[in-house]
Amino acid sequence: MRIPSTTLALALLIPAALAGQARYGLTLGATGGTRLVTDRIFQDIEVTQGLAPTVTLSASLPVSERERGGIEVALGFGKTRIKESGFPTVDGPDFKTLSITGGVQGPIISTLGWRFGAGLLKYLPDKEGIFRSGGPLLLILSGGADYRLPIGGPVGVVARLRYDYQRFNTDELQSSGFGRTQDVHRLGLGLGIEYQRP
Amino acid sequence: MIPRPRLLLGATFAALAAALACSDMVSPTRSTRYDWRLIVDYDSAGPRRDTLSFHWPRNRLPVRIWVEDSLQLPSRVREGIALWKGALLYGEWDGVIVSDSATADVIVRLTQPPPQIPIRLAGRVLSCAGATDVDTATTRFELAVPVRAYVFPTIPGAADLTQCLRTVAAHELGHTLGLFQHSSDSLDLMFSEPTAQFLTERDVGTITNAYHLTADMIPVGP
Repeated sequence: MRIPSTTLALALLIPAALAGQARYGLTLGATGGTRLVTDRIFQDIEVTQGLAPTVTLSASLPVSERERGGIEVALGFGKTRIKESGFPTVDGPDFKTLSITGGVQGPIISTLGWRFGAGLLKYLPDKEGIFRSGGPLLLILSGGADYRLPIGGPVGVVARLRYDYQRFNTDELQSSGFGRTQDVHRLGLGLGIEYQRP
Repeated sequence: MIPRPRLLLGATFAALAAALACSDMVSPTRSTRYDWRLIVDYDSAGPRRDTLSFHWPRNRLPVRIWVEDSLQLPSRVREGIALWKGALLYGEWDGVIVSDSATADVIVRLTQPPPQIPIRLAGRVLSCAGATDVDTATTRFELAVPVRAYVFPTIPGAADLTQCLRTVAAHELGHTLGLFQHSSDSLDLMFSEPTAQFLTERDVGTITNAYHLTADMIPVGP
């Protein structure tokens, strides 16, 4: 197949031009979520997740006059709590999540923007319990808002709100006979800096 | 005003999330088990029998285990700890080997047990054997700590001694966790003459049940 030279030149030049407007971000925050597991052994058992410190790296490029396309990579470090009727609530196993989402973002008003995305999330293997073998790659759908505050030059401060949805399961739960998946909704807040190439 | 394409994108996303958001995990039944509870005969205006459950409470974890340092028994017990710990999903039990027997909850010796005490759970394989003594102290609702377990060779130098010690150490450790009866299935680790190298589904089901049934006994001491 023959590619016209003008198309080829445009394909090579546009990303280079857009790279000039690339925006990179680093945010630190915390993510909380709904219960991970419901179980019953004589009594009802619930495994819930505590607030997980989360580091997020992001990069985006303009895809139109107002919208940008980009990716976000987030690493979270969480703790679980185990609630069982008739027993004291105790700390459960720790977990780590790694997610990557691609998405589109744009302005709502002034310095406030929206973002929708989809991607993959993985629970990384941990020492024991339900996360011992880690988890399968889970599809996540995410949405949220960013509030940007320029502080001069190419650098700005950003406050980030993120929601995501996943169907939770782990290899250990599957091998222990758990069926189906658990709907998990997470909400995260972060604060960080962004750098946009002038 | 939010432009129409963005509104459409948001609505699509919300509809997709709502369509997917209708699933809860279904837990397994865990009915595959054998009886593990301690049966105690006692006298209260006539002979009576009580069936008692025990598991280590969370505030006693990790259980401190002292092991006699001979014939690589500490390594065999470590393998047993990993085996039982791995059977439980929610960190219900944990064990650690300690160097001072005076502070131990469980003592594992490489010797034949002393003369019979009231409740002894004994297991035997071809080249080694084991036993665990359960002392319900002054009332049947207390488990005297340390719990004493014995693992010893019956054919010194046997080719399969290491494997035998591994199996019997894990079996006796199972008793110290609260499995106070033997399984009737020869494939289970908690069979009276164990040969299993791993926990069967019945072993896992039993220990899981044991750690989620309210305990009748509490550990007392040391």
